[in-house]
Amino acid sequence: MVAALGAAVVIGTLAATNLAPNTVYYLTPTEARERGVTAGRTVRLGGLVKTGSLSFQPISFHGPNNFEFVITDGTVDVRVLGQGAIPGLLREGAGAVVEGSFAADGTFTATQVIAKHDEVYTAPKAGATPAHRTAP
Amino acid sequence: MSAGDLGAAALRAALFLSLWGTGAAIYAAWRRDARALSSARVAAGIGFGLVVIAAFSMMFALATHDFSILYVAENNARETPTFYSIISLWAALEGSILLWTAILAGATAFIAFRGTVAIPRLATTALAVMFAMLTFFLLLITTPAADPFARLAVAPDNGSGPNALLQNHPLMALHPPLLYLGYVLTSVPFAYAIASLILGEGGDRWLVATRRFALISWALLGVGIVAGAWWSYAVLGWGGYWAWDPVENAAIMPWLTSTAYLHSVMVEEKRSLLRTWNLALVVATFALTILGTFLTRSGVVNSVHSFSLSAIGPLLLGYLVAILVLSVGLLLWRSARLRDAGPIGAPLSREAIFLFQNVLFMAATLTVLLGTLYPLVAEAISGAQLSIGGPYFDRVEIPVALALLFLMGVGPQLPWHGASRATLERQFTAPIVAAAIGAVAALVTGTTALAAVLTYALGAFVIATVVQEFARGVRARRTLHGEGGLAAFSNLFRRNGRRYGGYVVHLGIVLVALAVATSQARTVDAERTLAPGDSLEIAGYTVRLDALRPVSEPQRDSIVADLAITGNGASAQLRPALVQYPNSTAAVGSPGIGAGLRDDVYTILAAYDQRTFSWATIRTRVIPGVSWLWLGGAVVGIGAIIAALPPPRRRVVRMPVAEVAVSAK
Repeated sequence: MVAALGAAVVIGTLAATNLAPNTVYYLTPTEARERGVTAGRTVRLGGLVKTGSLSFQPISFHGPNNFEFVITDGTVDVRVLGQGAIPGLLREGAGAVVEGSFAADGTFTATQVIAKHDEVYTAPKAGATPAHRTAP
Repeated sequence: MSAGDLGAAALRAALFLSLWGTGAAIYAAWRRDARALSSARVAAGIGFGLVVIAAFSMMFALATHDFSILYVAENNARETPTFYSIISLWAALEGSILLWTAILAGATAFIAFRGTVAIPRLATTALAVMFAMLTFFLLLITTPAADPFARLAVAPDNGSGPNALLQNHPLMALHPPLLYLGYVLTSVPFAYAIASLILGEGGDRWLVATRRFALISWALLGVGIVAGAWWSYAVLGWGGYWAWDPVENAAIMPWLTSTAYLHSVMVEEKRSLLRTWNLALVVATFALTILGTFLTRSGVVNSVHSFSLSAIGPLLLGYLVAILVLSVGLLLWRSARLRDAGPIGAPLSREAIFLFQNVLFMAATLTVLLGTLYPLVAEAISGAQLSIGGPYFDRVEIPVALALLFLMGVGPQLPWHGASRATLERQFTAPIVAAAIGAVAALVTGTTALAAVLTYALGAFVIATVVQEFARGVRARRTLHGEGGLAAFSNLFRRNGRRYGGYVVHLGIVLVALAVATSQARTVDAERTLAPGDSLEIAGYTVRLDALRPVSEPQRDSIVADLAITGNGASAQLRPALVQYPNSTAAVGSPGIGAGLRDDVYTILAAYDQRTFSWATIRTRVIPGVSWLWLGGAVVGIGAIIAALPPPRRRVVRMPVAEVAVSAK
């Protein structure tokens, strides 16, 4: 009985201490600026891919490709940088959610790009939800 | 009369019969009225037939593209192949609830005809509970909230077709029905438990009557979850099989409580302990399946599984609350009659390990529940939108899983009531040696992450205990019954299927654990842009792009990359593709997978030159051991079948009929 209670306490502590550090907030670019999200903290940004902002580096046959685009909620723009092939679902003017963290200079390094692929497109709310995973 | 009219009429008639059956079963249980019982039986049988007719009507409407039905127009197109048309019965909300209702009606009919013969009063009360639940679901699908046969005023020329992800892989035929069967069959033990509480029977009859149902629903749920992981792996194109998605969590939680129940139930059978606890586990399992349905079907959480928002959410939530209030109320009311026969004994006894195991399973369930519901609660309280990242679940659940793996080896080796020092030495010497060998094997094969090494060590520990049990069982049968080795081995399963089938299940779980540990610890990624003829090297494999070509089919257009894989003594031709369905705004990826016992080579066409086809970006993952996961799921299923098969009847010496007639006088 004591061992069982002990195990329950250990697991409870494990859960309590791991909940906060693994909480990922969905924010719009405006909310991210207002809250002053610390550099390096994982967050998700939801917004529209600004028209004309999506660019690849010239195709490299020697390593992974870099891409960048600007995600916007109409008020605040954030420059998003990433590496790898971006999902085919991502297009200019459409909604997207990026997961990653801000660098000290205010650019956003994406570890995961999640494009919205709703059949009937509606502008994402603050932190619209991922509909399609691109990477683990 | 069209198929749609037939289905709609059948559901309405079934609703009427279900209401009738509820009343008849209640009256039959209350007054012990045989005529009311047979009336309820007829209602259950015909009701089941009617719901099956409705389900087949929907399949027929889908296969014949009857777009005057809204569900067909939204989930089917003329170009959809017949196979995917038929399985679109469970491609969206209304059809899924129809399938759910059909299974529930089947279980109700089964209890009406089979259950009520063995223990009439308890089973008749359980039948009333089943009818009440069936009535709720029939109400759902005959009201606009989830009416599968709702009509369109003007039938369109063509429908929009099923969701692209749902028509891209045949596993869609397997994963949802298995999961639904598992979900719905948990309602049988629940109905008996509630009946037992209502009647105030302190005994364990409800549990004996539903043991097999509990086992079968547990197995279907488990195999359904593995099939879902496989579908996710083969379709979603991210090379993983589990993401702690809210709906995955919703499926695993009832499986966890149900696993706990299958073990603690043995403590009640052997020692008449944990009575209230077992009732609570059955209630929790059932409530978690409804919670899972609510989370999936109401749109409160978003995931790959969520259907569009619908009015069904509040109804399901109300149903869930009603079930919890009723169950907790009954448990409190009857708690005085559910006294245990004594305290749990020595810490090194089998019952103590079962108790410990139950605590761990509950902890796992509650922590998964916390991580799943926390975002909902946080949004309701503070308005902030957030999600709980996978690392939370990994850090909490992996230690729990390792502890459970350890107990899986220890439990079966300990006798009831307590173990002596000599017993401990006899039982654990070989398994501890095996654990050391397992750890070395992990390190030698390049698996060095701590959790993975521990998984190998504990996996070997469990395998050794199981082998030891089989060896002893065979030896005992050979000396006692003089059987040959092979006959003794198969007789272990036939005579004591529950125990030895259980060990096979344990082996399957070990296989799953090893697959997860290996694939998580040693997966390698590479992403390269290739011109036709170029190749990339990864983990000893060479991936060569041979060609990039468009392929056109009636229901879809694809761009296919022809890849040749060689290396590590294997070779394969893989064809990852980007597939464009007419109803989808963007192409969906279709991975090319070279599966092997050693490694899977998983390839994705990530991007390509749309004008001249002169290059393609290929993402490649080499995932060791992942196919053991599907294999492990199959072994669990086989073990469960062995455990669920009834043991052969003892040979009965029949008296001649005449003598029976005489002695009856």
